[in-house]
Amino acid sequence: MTKYLIYAGCLFLLIWSCRRNGDVRPGTQPYTLELPSNFPAPVYDMSWNPLTVQGVALGRRLFYDPRLSRDSTISCGFCHQQFAAFAHFDHPLSHGIDNRTGLRSVPGLFNLIWQKDFMWDGGVNHLEVQPLTPITDPNEMGEDLARLISRLNADQKYRGLFRDAFGEGEINSQKLFKALAQFMATMNSFNSKYDSVMRHAPGVQFTAEEAGGYATFQAKCASCHKEPLFTDGSFRNNGLPYNPYLHDAGRMRITNSTGDYLKFKVPSLRNVIKSPPYMHDGRFYDLFDVFLHYSENIEQTPTIDPLVKNRIPLSNQEQRELYLFLNTLTDPGFINSKSLSEVLITD
Amino acid sequence: MKPYYLLPVLFLLCTACKKDKQEQGNIQVTFKNVVNGVPLVLNTAPYTNANGETFTVTTFKYYISNISLIKMDNSELRVPDSYFLVDENTAASKTITFNAPVGEYRAVAFKIGVDSIRNVSGAQTGALDPVNGMFWSWNSGYIMAKMEGTSPASTAPGQTLTFHIGGFKGNFNAVQDVNLVSPISLTVGLERRPQLTITADLYTWFTGVNLVKFSENSAIHVPGELAWKISTNYRYMFRITDVTDL
Repeated sequence: MTKYLIYAGCLFLLIWSCRRNGDVRPGTQPYTLELPSNFPAPVYDMSWNPLTVQGVALGRRLFYDPRLSRDSTISCGFCHQQFAAFAHFDHPLSHGIDNRTGLRSVPGLFNLIWQKDFMWDGGVNHLEVQPLTPITDPNEMGEDLARLISRLNADQKYRGLFRDAFGEGEINSQKLFKALAQFMATMNSFNSKYDSVMRHAPGVQFTAEEAGGYATFQAKCASCHKEPLFTDGSFRNNGLPYNPYLHDAGRMRITNSTGDYLKFKVPSLRNVIKSPPYMHDGRFYDLFDVFLHYSENIEQTPTIDPLVKNRIPLSNQEQRELYLFLNTLTDPGFINSKSLSEVLITD
Repeated sequence: MKPYYLLPVLFLLCTACKKDKQEQGNIQVTFKNVVNGVPLVLNTAPYTNANGETFTVTTFKYYISNISLIKMDNSELRVPDSYFLVDENTAASKTITFNAPVGEYRAVAFKIGVDSIRNVSGAQTGALDPVNGMFWSWNSGYIMAKMEGTSPASTAPGQTLTFHIGGFKGNFNAVQDVNLVSPISLTVGLERRPQLTITADLYTWFTGVNLVKFSENSAIHVPGELAWKISTNYRYMFRITDVTDL
């Protein structure tokens, strides 16, 4: 008996001595993240930032706090509206402090832990440093990071919340970004009708038109808008006529490669019905304008994607069915989720 | 069956993951920034670059990271988690101290800039905190080294000079390796701390492999070929100019 205890003890020590310090901090409750079985493994490594109830709640408060902007008017949630799948409903270009207008449309926020880079041009390489761009961009929240950190440190409420989530010590940008990343890691959308059909949920099936739309989707859209995320994460020139007022070179701005001229990230089509307008500059207010673009109005430029170069003809019936299929990608549970909704900040 | 022989094996396994506890001393390095041998003073006297253009300096900062100590047998010993931002404007940042196991060393190696791993690993802290203004938010990555100033030769508004050198990918990776052999060996003891003075000459930024004329290039704030060219110049900016080994 004694020697079994010794073996057990040694084994415990072995595991203990090799453990990674990614454990949840004492005093916090681990946050259990529900993930779908039919998705690939997340890109974001949460073992470096273990989700806790306190961390997620803090991230949510920060997301909805306009005091993160220079003049305390614009929060993350100002542009990223839950009812629009965290895109900016009805706004072609992003808005910011001082009535400023940005260069691109507000992308929807969901399934971010599966994304390997961020922004329409993929310039941001990690979920944690993503918020740095909107917070400091003069066209968005326009705040200086050092000023923001000292403001948070001067706020007694935030000092307490950061202490609860990350322990003693000054608030620094790493804690700010990790808290926001924890909240963003919970913004996941995988319970649309489409998902229920794919998981063979009892009693759920596509209507005949939705099924027809799915067939069209698979034949004509799915190579870029790849299931189950409905994007392959690549950058492509989809033949949009160049907008001379915006002068937006797209991905080329990041890579300096002329081969990336006018290329933008393929957006996910999940919740697409809820998040107009469409394209990187929000030029289309209606999905039928998008269909028309692909079937008739492709502009030929040297970097045009081979998959759209010869246009994607869509008959009236195909368009109607496609619309009805895309409607099955709406995730009402996500859009109405109480755990993601705006928190009113009064202190 | 009584597999007692397993006990020592398990014991070895248990201790295998234990951290080594070698006796630690430390090394202190003081950086002295100069321009063509003349001590750098911000916002004052003009200096002259290799192309004969005068200029003043308002900002001069660079990352020193991934420090290694080269032992007498040429084996290399990495100083874990060594990231420092040297800023001419902050006296305290110009002297750095790092742990070194007790022993004798012949050289110091480091990177100018931040290795690619830390460029893609999310939110960092300390010297790598983006609050230090050395991180590009729109195109994630660290500015490895930064020089700002003015020159009558500059065609930019306000005749400014803006050289933000960064980029960690592909052909234009601006992270540069430096290896400095000490004029005398460095002996680290529990009571003995070598103190080095490393002189950094800003003059090298604009001459050497690639001559930079302010009349043609007065601003770099994106990764790419031009940034990389300057980094291939400034990788030769460091010299050990003094060693106190007491």
